[in-house]
Amino acid sequence: MDDDKLLNLIMMCIPLSLVSFGGGQTIIASLQHQTVDVQNMLSGARFTDLYAISRAAPGPGTMIVSLVGWEVSGLLGAVLATLAIFVPSSILICAVGSYWQRHRGRPWAIAAEKGLAPVAVGLIFAGVFAVGRSAQFSPVELATTLAAGAILLRTRVGPYPLLAAAGALYFALSIAGQV
Amino acid sequence: MDKPVDKNEAVAVQPVTVLELLTSFLRLGASSFGGGMTGWTHREIVERRRWLTDSEFLQTLTIAQIMPGANPVNLAVYIGLKLAGLRGAAAALLGMIMPAFLAILALSFAYQQLRSYPEAQAVLRGLACVGIASSLTMGIKTARRLKAHVLPVGIAAGVFLLVGVLRWPLVPVALGAIPVSVAATFWLERKNGRG
Repeated sequence: MDDDKLLNLIMMCIPLSLVSFGGGQTIIASLQHQTVDVQNMLSGARFTDLYAISRAAPGPGTMIVSLVGWEVSGLLGAVLATLAIFVPSSILICAVGSYWQRHRGRPWAIAAEKGLAPVAVGLIFAGVFAVGRSAQFSPVELATTLAAGAILLRTRVGPYPLLAAAGALYFALSIAGQV
Repeated sequence: MDKPVDKNEAVAVQPVTVLELLTSFLRLGASSFGGGMTGWTHREIVERRRWLTDSEFLQTLTIAQIMPGANPVNLAVYIGLKLAGLRGAAAALLGMIMPAFLAILALSFAYQQLRSYPEAQAVLRGLACVGIASSLTMGIKTARRLKAHVLPVGIAAGVFLLVGVLRWPLVPVALGAIPVSVAATFWLERKNGRG
């Protein structure tokens, strides 16, 4: 029975992988409907639990399928569901990417590469704005973000020291009852 | 008056090995706490390793954002493909998802205990601040490299307004803006070429 469920989960993840435009959040509704209402793989409450964990965890939101896979058939389920959600979209981008590589150097391809830059810059700031708005920063958090930004602009410090410092600072602030 | 668009001009002379790619992306995959993956990827691939120029990175990033799939994973796979072919793409994918996969399993076991501690929530907020700062910094650095002309700057501002402030869906906006931006670039280059 578990093998059937696992196969169903994999067959569900492959098409979801190819329509997950803009990352994980777009497929959550469909994943919930399929796993909870249609296939009865897990309860609605359990799905909400897994969703909360995937939001707190690092990595893309689509990682929730690893947890669903674990519910269905343990480590094997988690590994296979994760591959089923990431490999199809990766194959697609390899296909598009290698087509582009073959045609680079042509005038239209050079103009296209340069023309993509302004769009990318706009999207980067849009992403920062959207995340900042949904996070509803306190003044302390805003100050932390600006300070970290200034350090990143002026120095070559990598992610680990900064993340460790911020984690330690907020742990201390929390103990002191300041956040 | 034209400044060179790319300050990070140095491109890898030697081919990048699959092992180097795997190491870099395992590091990146493990630093995805708090988000800001694109910023960290830029810092590692363009600034630290100098495997790609800024304009190559931006082109890769835009395509990674339009295509289906998690954006940081797409970006990693495409960079891996560019630098070391299909094996590079596979190494980048593995490096990117392995740490997050182990972390989410560990977190799901620890979740019931972690949830009750406010300190854990506070630490996650602190990490998120650094993550956002990393994306913001990359936005500033790449915006500086745009041609100082009303067209590219206006297009960047327009995309930001539509997607960020007005919350229009990303894919249609990007698909509409790209032809406009490419045509504008083509026109600007030709005008500069003549004189």
